[in-house]
Amino acid sequence: MEMLKEISLRLQKGDAKGVKELVQQAIDAGVDAHTILEEGLLDGMSVIGEKFKNNEVFVPEVLIAARAMNMGTRLLKPLLNDSAAAATGKVCVGTVKGDQHDIGKNLVVMMLQGKGLEVIDLGTNVPPERFVQTAIDQDCQIICLSALLSTTMDEMGNVVKAAEEAGIRDRVKIMIGGAPITQAFCEQIGADVYTADAASAADAAVELLAQRG
Amino acid sequence: MNMKQWLDDQRRATVRKPLPILSFPSVTLTGIAVHELVTDSDKQAQGMAAVARRCDTAAAVSVMDLSVEAECFGAQILFQGEEVPTVVGTLVETAEQAQALLTPQVGDARSGVYVEAVRKATALITDRPILAGAIGPYSLASRLMDVTQTMVNCYVEPEMVHTVLDKVTAFLIAYIRAFKEAGANGVVLAEPAGGLLTPELCQEFSSDYVRRIVEAVQDDTFIVVYHNCGGAIDRLVPEIVSVGAAAYHFGNAVPITSMLEQMPSECFIMGNVDPIGVLRNGTPDTVRAATLAVMESACPYDNFLISSGCDIPPETPWENLDAFFAAAAEFYANK
Repeated sequence: MEMLKEISLRLQKGDAKGVKELVQQAIDAGVDAHTILEEGLLDGMSVIGEKFKNNEVFVPEVLIAARAMNMGTRLLKPLLNDSAAAATGKVCVGTVKGDQHDIGKNLVVMMLQGKGLEVIDLGTNVPPERFVQTAIDQDCQIICLSALLSTTMDEMGNVVKAAEEAGIRDRVKIMIGGAPITQAFCEQIGADVYTADAASAADAAVELLAQRG
Repeated sequence: MNMKQWLDDQRRATVRKPLPILSFPSVTLTGIAVHELVTDSDKQAQGMAAVARRCDTAAAVSVMDLSVEAECFGAQILFQGEEVPTVVGTLVETAEQAQALLTPQVGDARSGVYVEAVRKATALITDRPILAGAIGPYSLASRLMDVTQTMVNCYVEPEMVHTVLDKVTAFLIAYIRAFKEAGANGVVLAEPAGGLLTPELCQEFSSDYVRRIVEAVQDDTFIVVYHNCGGAIDRLVPEIVSVGAAAYHFGNAVPITSMLEQMPSECFIMGNVDPIGVLRNGTPDTVRAATLAVMESACPYDNFLISSGCDIPPETPWENLDAFFAAAAEFYANK
């Protein structure tokens, strides 16, 4: 449908006003809310995600695309069926305790939302117990951890331990990323997945959820 | 000291001394804590001198603390144990707040400590240039307005961003001039947030302001070393070159050869051994291997000098740092 294609294109250009207008037009025209979400907004964000992974767009372009997506989803939220949203998966994301950096974490949040996942953004300086309790209370399938400092990355291991002690490791996966993080570190602390960038993180989250069935 | 001549000498030297961003690890040499280093000019100068005594570097560098300038503007700073201080919260959220933002004086908050530390260091370190450290204008503005929101505001509230940039640039010029007056031979101007931008945004909101600073402070006796460890720098080369710095320092997010290949040969370029993954978290063997790898790829360019990719963290083991210098010496011995 042309209107949905146009929503996707405007989103890719970061045209939040245009996306908002077109999403409203689509709603008024009776287009199903899930269809607008999938074929308009998430389609556009998916293109941006791929381009970001391939270094074809820059961080600010991802941010304004995500802003445009959020403008559109705000209009759709009241119309979306709760069970459909839950089906795609739920992730809690945060920067670990002692770390205030958030740009990487913010990009991951946007990319996950761009994949249609429900994301709980815990912010920065998040202690291990808050990650774990959120995953329990909100029934998250994935905990996503970000760290930018060599001195705070060790907190990721504490989150893994806390999740083990809470008995949720069988149903909650832990993903990690950030400038000092490596695959070797991921294996060392017993996390499940390491990704080097936000777009890959979103792909990996989708794959993890698909593996669960 | 004629720094133009110094750069020429570096370029002509067949054996070159490394110039890593090496200051915070002085804590383990001296027993001076990080919180003392960033608040006490005597201790900071002593730390710099201890590093200079231990390491045969091409120049001494001041402490790279990217919270100092933001604190002068009134940003909230988190001092957390032995961590390098960081900016928390957002100081400027609206255009009105940007207009009302007062430009501080040099000497406000801890800026005086850093200027005095350089002044004291010039008496302790006399065998090599001393480079002060300052944050770049866009990176400073981002810290005042939130890194993520500033990028969005470049599109939706550009005038607000320019208002803040004008003020931070004016302060940075005054601050760097104070370093110059205190005896520094140059400044490492750290603009990492600029390395996240698109080319158009980088030129408008970062490079044009860095250029203003360079034109205000750089001359034959005082150089600007433009530092950027952002992930997109290899796609921002014209914008980076436009700042007109005497030297450039790049991080390990991109291969240093991609910058050497694209930038004019007149640009003196330094970098880029990973300060965290290799220097802090590695072993002497992996440090040696990584350093040699960078040098083997980059030293064929005569405008290159081996360095770390960014500021080296306080807790980096000295055996690793020793391995870095040994690797550099090994490379030149075998050349």
